[in-house]
Amino acid sequence: MATSNSGKPDKGLRATVIGMVAFVVIVGIGFTLMTNHSKSVLKLPASVSKADGYGIVFNPTAKPVIDIWEDFQCPVCQRFEAINSTYINQVVAAGKAKVVFHPMSFIGQESVLAANAAACANDQGKFLAYHTLLYQNQSPTENAGKVTADFLTQLGAAGGISGSKFTGCVNNMSYQNWTKNIEVDAASKNVNSTPTVFVNGKELDRKTQYMDPVAFQAVLAAGGVK
Amino acid sequence: MKRYQPWLTLLARLVLGGTLLAAGLLKIKNPSEAAASVRVYKMLPVAIANILGYSLPWIEIGIALLLIVGIALKKSALAGGILMAMFIIAIGQAWARGLPINCGCFGNGGVTADGKVHALTYFTEIVRDIGLVILSGFLYRFPQGKLGLDKFATEENDGNK
Repeated sequence: MATSNSGKPDKGLRATVIGMVAFVVIVGIGFTLMTNHSKSVLKLPASVSKADGYGIVFNPTAKPVIDIWEDFQCPVCQRFEAINSTYINQVVAAGKAKVVFHPMSFIGQESVLAANAAACANDQGKFLAYHTLLYQNQSPTENAGKVTADFLTQLGAAGGISGSKFTGCVNNMSYQNWTKNIEVDAASKNVNSTPTVFVNGKELDRKTQYMDPVAFQAVLAAGGVK
Repeated sequence: MKRYQPWLTLLARLVLGGTLLAAGLLKIKNPSEAAASVRVYKMLPVAIANILGYSLPWIEIGIALLLIVGIALKKSALAGGILMAMFIIAIGQAWARGLPINCGCFGNGGVTADGKVHALTYFTEIVRDIGLVILSGFLYRFPQGKLGLDKFATEENDGNK
């Protein structure tokens, strides 16, 4: 058989293939680990700091602290928003708690675009209004091409956010690195799903406290929201 | 059996390799979701789970490529089988603890948004992975098949003689 004659070159073939595969794997892992580190030099949206996990903060000195991790493409977040946002917005407006929004982007690129645009809206003082608009106009399918820079600026215009500052921020993806830092921070806090809500650092009970407005308000009250 | 075995080996390679390749390719596009999908099993410290989550898609792709071209088949079948066995353990313990095993948006992955545990989700995942472990075992036992590069490599290769 041919193999007996060509033992050496064939051995080379085997080593070459294994070497190439190992190369791809090692370079891939290295690249992924390097690109999924918190960026130290980055532009931060208004009211954001590292200490709050890069979240968008309302009422920074108030107690208790409510952290909300969400992804604008997530349908369950949409449901959560529909059920609880009126109350959350009241809490924010009345200064009854420090509320920190962490817009995640692990569902994909359209989440990155949306999170960036939400941060741009926050710079214009319109985060909560834009937040609601994003959920009201959520695409029924994830990453299907609905959420684009044009879509996001038009959504802003519908909510009364216009001007070159906002559109430039959306178009240039000014806060792209910030969206990465939100992801890395969520990863370090073991937040795996959206929505995830912490009251004073303690996660709500997934079974009962998210989708029932009475239970949700009760757990916030227990945490100190008066 | 003897006559069909080389073809079955090829089929097993393509099914196992194809599954791993698809799983890996889907995940490399979205590393933060891949990391979350390891964290949800709550078996490892968060920092280690994240590193594993970022690395696992590439490891899957590597094993898949070796299986598909058919190089070092015994070793890559073993690696694929170990990987699948790890998944079975992870899913099994998540099932026992009632942990949702899909990250991302709640509402699927064994536990719905209301916190109900759906046994069928874990069960189907485990059945699928057991099937893949059986394929790995078959490849380990019968590595010689059609269209495998190992055939052209030296005799001392695992699998060939």
